[in-house]
Order: sequence, then C-alpha cells, then structure tokens
Amino acid sequence: MADRPLLLKGTLDLLVLKALTLRSMHGLEISEWIDERAEGELEILDSALYQALYRLESRELIAAEWGVTDNNRRARYYEITPAGRAHLEKERASWLRYAQRVQAILALRTRAV
Amino acid sequence: MLPPRVRRAFRLSLHRSDHAETDTDDEIRGHLEMRVAALVARGLSPAQAEAEALRRFGNLPGAREALQETARRRERRLSVVESTDELRRDIGYAIRQLRASPGFTLAVVLTFAIGIGANAAMFGIIDRLLLRGPAHVREPERLARFYYSVEEPGRGLFTGSHLGYVAYSALKDHVRSLDGVAAYSANEATLGRGAEALKIQEGHATADFFPLLGVQSHLGRFFVAEEDRPGSGQRVVVLSYALWRSRFGGDSAVLGRTISIGDEPYVVVGVAPKDFTGVEMQRVDLWIPMTVRGPRIHPEWSTTWHAQWLQIVGRLRFGVRPEVAAEEATARLLSAYEGDDPGMRHARGSFRAIGFDVRGGEPPQVAVARWLTGVAVVLLLIVCANIANLLLARALRRGREIAVRLALGAGVSRIVRLLLAEAFLLAALGAVAGLAVADWGGQLIRVALLPDVPWGDSAIDARVLAFTAIAAVISAVLVGLVPALQASRLDLTGGLKAGMREGGGRRSGLRTLLTVTQAALSAVLLIGAGLFVRSLRNVDALHHGIELDRLLVVDIHWPRLPASAAEDEWNRVRAQQTTFYEQALERIQGLPDVERASVAIGTPFHGGLSLGISVPGIDSIPAMPGGGPWVSAVSSDHFATAGTRVLRGRGFTVGDRAGSERVMVVNETMAERLWPQQDPLGKCVKVLGRPCARVVGVVEDARRSALDEPSAMQFYVPLGQQTSISGSTILIRPRCGEATRCAGRLADLLRSELLHMNPNLGYIDIEPLERGLEGQVRPWRLGATMFGIFGAIALVVAALGLYSVIAYGVAQRSHELGVRVALGAQRRAIVWLILRQGMVAAAMGIAIGLTIALFSAPFLQPLLFRVPADDPAVFGLVAVTLLAVAVGATILPALRGARSDPMRALQAE
Repeated sequence: MADRPLLLKGTLDLLVLKALTLRSMHGLEISEWIDERAEGELEILDSALYQALYRLESRELIAAEWGVTDNNRRARYYEITPAGRAHLEKERASWLRYAQRVQAILALRTRAV
Repeated sequence: MLPPRVRRAFRLSLHRSDHAETDTDDEIRGHLEMRVAALVARGLSPAQAEAEALRRFGNLPGAREALQETARRRERRLSVVESTDELRRDIGYAIRQLRASPGFTLAVVLTFAIGIGANAAMFGIIDRLLLRGPAHVREPERLARFYYSVEEPGRGLFTGSHLGYVAYSALKDHVRSLDGVAAYSANEATLGRGAEALKIQEGHATADFFPLLGVQSHLGRFFVAEEDRPGSGQRVVVLSYALWRSRFGGDSAVLGRTISIGDEPYVVVGVAPKDFTGVEMQRVDLWIPMTVRGPRIHPEWSTTWHAQWLQIVGRLRFGVRPEVAAEEATARLLSAYEGDDPGMRHARGSFRAIGFDVRGGEPPQVAVARWLTGVAVVLLLIVCANIANLLLARALRRGREIAVRLALGAGVSRIVRLLLAEAFLLAALGAVAGLAVADWGGQLIRVALLPDVPWGDSAIDARVLAFTAIAAVISAVLVGLVPALQASRLDLTGGLKAGMREGGGRRSGLRTLLTVTQAALSAVLLIGAGLFVRSLRNVDALHHGIELDRLLVVDIHWPRLPASAAEDEWNRVRAQQTTFYEQALERIQGLPDVERASVAIGTPFHGGLSLGISVPGIDSIPAMPGGGPWVSAVSSDHFATAGTRVLRGRGFTVGDRAGSERVMVVNETMAERLWPQQDPLGKCVKVLGRPCARVVGVVEDARRSALDEPSAMQFYVPLGQQTSISGSTILIRPRCGEATRCAGRLADLLRSELLHMNPNLGYIDIEPLERGLEGQVRPWRLGATMFGIFGAIALVVAALGLYSVIAYGVAQRSHELGVRVALGAQRRAIVWLILRQGMVAAAMGIAIGLTIALFSAPFLQPLLFRVPADDPAVFGLVAVTLLAVAVGATILPALRGARSDPMRALQAE
C-alpha cells in the first residue's frame, strides 16, 4: 500500500461530484464506485470521503436526503445540484489541463550533465 | 426527489442543528454496517470484515467530531436563511394587503406621522436642552455651577450664582473635592465701529475654563494662564466658529490679526469649535481673558467683594457628591470672606447642574419643554389607541379570512406574525413621514419659541433618527398587539359560520375601551391647552403702565474710555454725549415716521438704577419687596411718549432742565407709601442729600424688568437735574402703531441719521421695548401654542376614533337594527340607542381625563400665570367641547342606523 499515490487536495471533491452525475448514491456506493474505477490504485479513507461529502453539502454543490436501499436499509442519499454540475465542469477542465502539463514535464527525456 | 428548497418550504424533514448530530451518527453507523455486510458477502469472516471496515474508515472519533461540526454549522445557516425567507414573505403579504386598501393605509400612515413626528421633534429639543448638555463639553454631568444662598431680610432666602473674582481665587486650588474650577461671564459688546459695527456677545473666561470643559480649539489655541494673570491680562481673543465664518470668511490667516472690540485692539489666537457656547445655552461670539474684562468692572476687581459679575463652575472629582464639595467650598469661601455684608457671613454654598439658571432653578423653557414631551407622548398614545382601533376593526372584518386560513392549517403564530408585520410596516412608513413632520415642526419650535438656544444645523440628527426608530417599533408593538391577540383568540368554527354578520359585545368592548382612553387623554391635553391659553391671555391683559408694544428703544454703544482716563476726560465725554442726545432727539422728533420721542436714563428692561432718598418729616424710607426707590431721568415729552398716565399734577415741560427749579414726579406706590391720605404735590424729596426737589406730579406704576414683579417706589427727575446716574437711551413712539411692525424700516433710517451725526459710534441697538418681556412671556406662548396644537390634533384623532367605532358598530348591527325596525321600534329610539353608546364612552373618558388633570394640577401650577390649575371654567369648557364633538361623531352613524332597511334584514335571514 505504501506506493499508492497521494490524493491531491480537491481531487476527491471532483471524484465525488463525477460519481453523482450518474445518479444519486449513498456514501458506500460512492466509495465502491471510485474503488472500481481506480482499480485499487487510490485508497480513499471513508472519513475523508464523508468530510468531502459534508463539505460539498455545505457549499450546496450536493444535496442530501434520507432514503431506503435495495436491502431495505436507511441511508443518506446524495445528489448533485445544478451548482455542483457547473462547479464540476469548470474544475474538471482546469484539472485536466494541470494534469497534462505535469505529465508533459515528467515525460521529458533529460540527460544528466 | 424533491429539491431541498421545496422540502423546506413545506417543512418536510427539516433538521435543526440538534438533529444534525444524530443524523451524522446514523449515517456513519449505517455505512459501517453496509460495508461489513459487503465484505462478509465477499467471503471475510464477520470479525475480519469489521476490522477491515474500521480500517477503511480511518480516524473514526476525530472524523465524527469534524462531521458533526460541519453539519451543525450548515443547519444553523439554513435556519437563518429560512427565517429571513419567511420574514420577506410576511412583509410581502402585508404590502399586498395594504396596497389593497390605500385609503386606510394613508390615514394610518398620516396619523402615525403626526404622533411619531411630534415626539421626534420634541426629543430633538429635549435632547439639546436636557440630555446632551452644551456642545463640546466633556462629561457635563460632573460639571456643576457654584451657587450661594443667603437669608435676606424682607425677601426670604436668596440664591444666586454671581460672584466676584475674589471668590474664584478663594475656591481655585483649594477645594479637594473638585478636579478644577473656572469662572466665566458674558456681556454685549461692539465689534468694529461706525457703519461696520456689529453687536456681539462677548464671553469672558479664566484660562482654566477651556481645559476644565475639555474643549479643543478648531484653529489655533485657547488663551493660556500666562495671558490671564491679574494685572497683566493680555488682549487676546478666541473667535467663535460662526463669527469666524461670517465675519472673517473662515480664513485661517485670521490668526495673529488684530481686531477691534469696543474700540480696543485684540490679537486673534484661535477659533473655537462649531457651536461651542461654554456651559450656557446662549450664543457667544468671542472669548477674551477674564483679566481683561475685570478692570472694566471695578478698579480693584480681583480683590474686592463688592463686584459680583462672574459665575463659577467646578468639575466634581469622580465619585464625589455635590453636597460634599459644596460643604468644603462653603467653608473655604466663608473663611476667605472679607466683605461687609452680614448676610454673606452665613451664606451656604451649593453645586447645581449647569443647566440651571442664575437663581439655581430649572429654567422655565426647560420645564415647559419637559411638559411638552409628556404631551407628545400622550398624543402618541392617542394615535396608537386610534390606529389599534382601526386595525382591530380590520382584523374583525377579516375575521372570516383569518378563520379560513386557520382552518387551512396556518398556525396561529403565523397569523399573529402577519398582523404584526402589517403594524410594523405601517409604523415604519409613518416614521418616515414623521421625520418630515419633525424636521418642519422642530425648526418651527426652535425659531419661533426657543430662539435663544444655539441649535445645531438640522432638527434631525443621528440621535433623533435612533429615537424615531425606537418610537416606531414601540408604536408598532402597541398597535399590532391588540388585533394580534384578537386573532389568536378567534373562534374557528364561529368565524367560519358567522360570515360577515357577527360583531359580538366582547370585541366592541375592547374597542370602546380604546375610545374611552382616547377621550380621556384628549381631555387632559385640552385642559392643558386651556390653562396655558388663559395664562397667556392674563399675561397679554397685564397693564404695564408703559406701552411696551408701541415703543422702540435706541441704545447706543459708545466707544469705551480707557480705565486710566482722567476725570476731566470723563467730564468732557459726558458733556459731549449729553449734547449729542439733545441734538439727536430733536432730529428724531422731526422724522415723519416718528410720533413722539424722549431721552431717558433708566429705562425698563435696561437695568434699574436706584438712589437713596430722604424726606423731611419721615424718619426712614420703608423698604419694599421690589427694591428701590428706583430713579429715571427723562426728557420733557417722556410720559406721553411712553404712554404712562399722569394721575395728578403734571409731567415735565421743556422748562424743567438743568439749572431750573428742582422738581420730581413720583409713581403711585411712592405717593401712597410716603404720604398716605395726603396730597403729595408740593412735598420735598432730597436725593442723595441734595437740596429739595418739589413733587409736581404722580404717575401710574410702570413695569421695570419683569412680568410679575412686586411693587416698588419710583421717581422721575427732569433730564439734566439727575445726580450720579448715566446711560441714556432714546425712546421712540413710531406712527405705525405696533413697534415690532416698523422696527426694521425705522431702524435703518435711525442708524444712518445717528451715524451721520457721529460716524464713530459703536453698535446702535434698536429694538422694540417689548423684546425685553419676550423671553418672559415665551414659556406661556410655547405652552399655549404647543398644548393647543397637540390638543387640537388629539381632539380630531379621538373624534375620528369614536366615529369609526360607532360607525363600525352600526354596520355590524345593521341586521339587528333592521329586525328591530321590522318589529316596530321607533327610529328615534334607535338613534338614541346608538347615540347613548357614544355618549357613555365620551362621558367616561371625560370623567377619567378630568380626574387625571385634577391630580396633575399641583405639578402644572408653577408654569401657569394667575390661573388656578384646576380652573373650573377650563374644565367645564373642555367637558362641554368633548361632549359636543362626541355627539357630532356619533350622530351620523346613528342616523344611518335608524335608516336600517327592515326588508334587507329579513331577506338576508
């Protein structure tokens, strides 16, 4: 586990918002959704996930509502708000630009002098 | 799924911050359970699954804490947003309601404007007079003026604040209860000379006056101790802000310039801050050191106990009671006293508020202003009672709508909130309109009734604004609460069933109570108005023995002679002035606008002069409570000019002059006192031991200086025969009748005539003689005007209130009245039925009002002039007036009620 990359600040927010663009989910669903797509490369602690969820809810980028799961359990479901979608759109573009830049720099072949 | 805003609007699943914690716990627990279940499904043992789930979660206690905090903060913010949303909705609803009935809204807003505006205006005045103290004075409540009280034979306890410099020296640095002592005085002076001359109020202060008050100069500095040493006082001057702006254009280059005050050169060293007037509420145009003023008063001004012209203020040490400081100061003063007045040896000193007058009492305008504030509050109560009545009527008319709302599930609290929102909105609009009333009315009161007080620029300042806001809130609560309470008690099914036809006794009982209150308060105000009007009429009807309103007084400020001038110089100047007055009188008498004119030394309201006399055959001249005997030296036409009637013998003729036989005219009191049951004509009176002057005439008593003064002996000698008195004035009786009317026009003419004769004259004061009395009459004028205005408004408002109650009652009962008519009731009986209702309310109100007035009579008495505060005539007139108004307000609805149509009543059934 030691070689799993650090999660950059703000990245988790984007992942959560991305997950919620598909449908509303509860916390565990979001966690599993990200795990599946990260193929075990990113381990996100649940405490971090929930802090992100609460933070996003406070900023009214997502909204929460108690609901019932397929297994008849009570769970808090999150959905993305229009403001959340706009935020994701904006941040996604700048994140991708940033990642490209970093990748391009790291991909340069350099020779030791 | 519903968006959160919609859910909130419907109050579905709304969490408050205390729910946030349990929600968070539920969520975490649910998450862990589901995670464990999923891991078990993947083949882990329950124990392994639980360990893994906890590991995946991370720092559980820390995270739980942080999540709960976030949740709590979010919920708190949401609840604020929600309540502002609700408030906005309530106000929006109220606005729609008020828009729907513009007539009602306008009436209520205007009524509020009058009530709140009157209070704001009075607050502005009281604030300056009573609450805030003089401008730029630090901690005015710790400042106190020093008074002394002595028992005077025949006059009782005399209290005064005028003392000498020697008293100031005695107290300065010697009273440990005080942080400091300073002395000040003021008088009129002339700035510049000739046509440029300006009459100014010259303030004199010891150098420690300014630091004692804590005032900072606007420009330059105040004078300092080195410039204010007895014997070496420097001619330096600090200008008032207003004078600096008006006379010197607000130019800072004025510092260091030399200006001429009373023909003496002074160097300008500073400018006082705007509106600074020392500790008095009187205008001061410039300040000069007391040590420069002193020598003009008395040659030994700094050491004599005989010259008393200044007043002393001290700053009480923190926490020290005035009585303690006074005791210390009295001991100090008595041990220093070296004068020859035996009364002073037993004098008692006291420190009193700087707002008090020279006699140690509250100035009459302050007392009147205090009463008027009470009056304004009463007016606001009447206004509130009336508006509460209107709102209540509206609430009842809307009773059905409200019942429907309640039935539909709106909480009672919400209905109450809606009604309160309406009241607040109305009060807020009323307050805004009230500010216009306050601005206009405040300026009017200031200029017309209290012109001597140095007011700021505007009648509305931050404090008045704050007061207005508070008054509006209180009014809103007062008027909103009654209908709101009514609504909260509303009987739901009754309201739904009854429709428009209800109107029970209980509700109209509440409204009648409000009407009775209004009538009572109106009665109180009208009685006050009546008493003040009678006072004013008594004042106006006073016989003054001199026609104050038909006389102009010309008072010339002559250039000052230096104190060091030799006796010859004084005599030369005196002779010059005598000639000047003779020539001036001749010239003035020749003017077409002048009916008569005379010259007098010793004019009413211009400082009395008294001299010792002796009469052969009478051992001692009796002392009179009014002091005296007073003396005037007058030219030949004086009594005709002044309008003082000659009762016996003759007045003076052109033949009575310097060098002719010594003659005298005495007033009625003097004739009766000295020669009871004898003929005063031909008697001999010796003035200051000089040879006999023969009494040739008796004139009526004339006013000296006050409206209400005890009688005193007064005698007149021909101008030129006087001994040791000086200070001439010219009295003019214009042709135009009332002197105030032509004062302005005549004044310019007179000034140019006099300056033509001598261009070096100082300021020439030309004023109606009546002006001297104006300040004394003002409290009654103020009281009569304001009580009158407020009383009239109260009467109208109360009449409207009664009318609305009766009219509403009739409308509510039209069905019942129709049935009565159908059953054969006489129309006259119905008119009487309704009329009686109004009469009973009015009579109850009047009875309560008269009782209140009767109980407050002893408090109002000192403010009245020769009217008993329980004057039966005023009480009776007010009672009759109110009853008549009540009949007027009731008769229309009563007649309408009598015309109730029996057919309609029966059809509606």
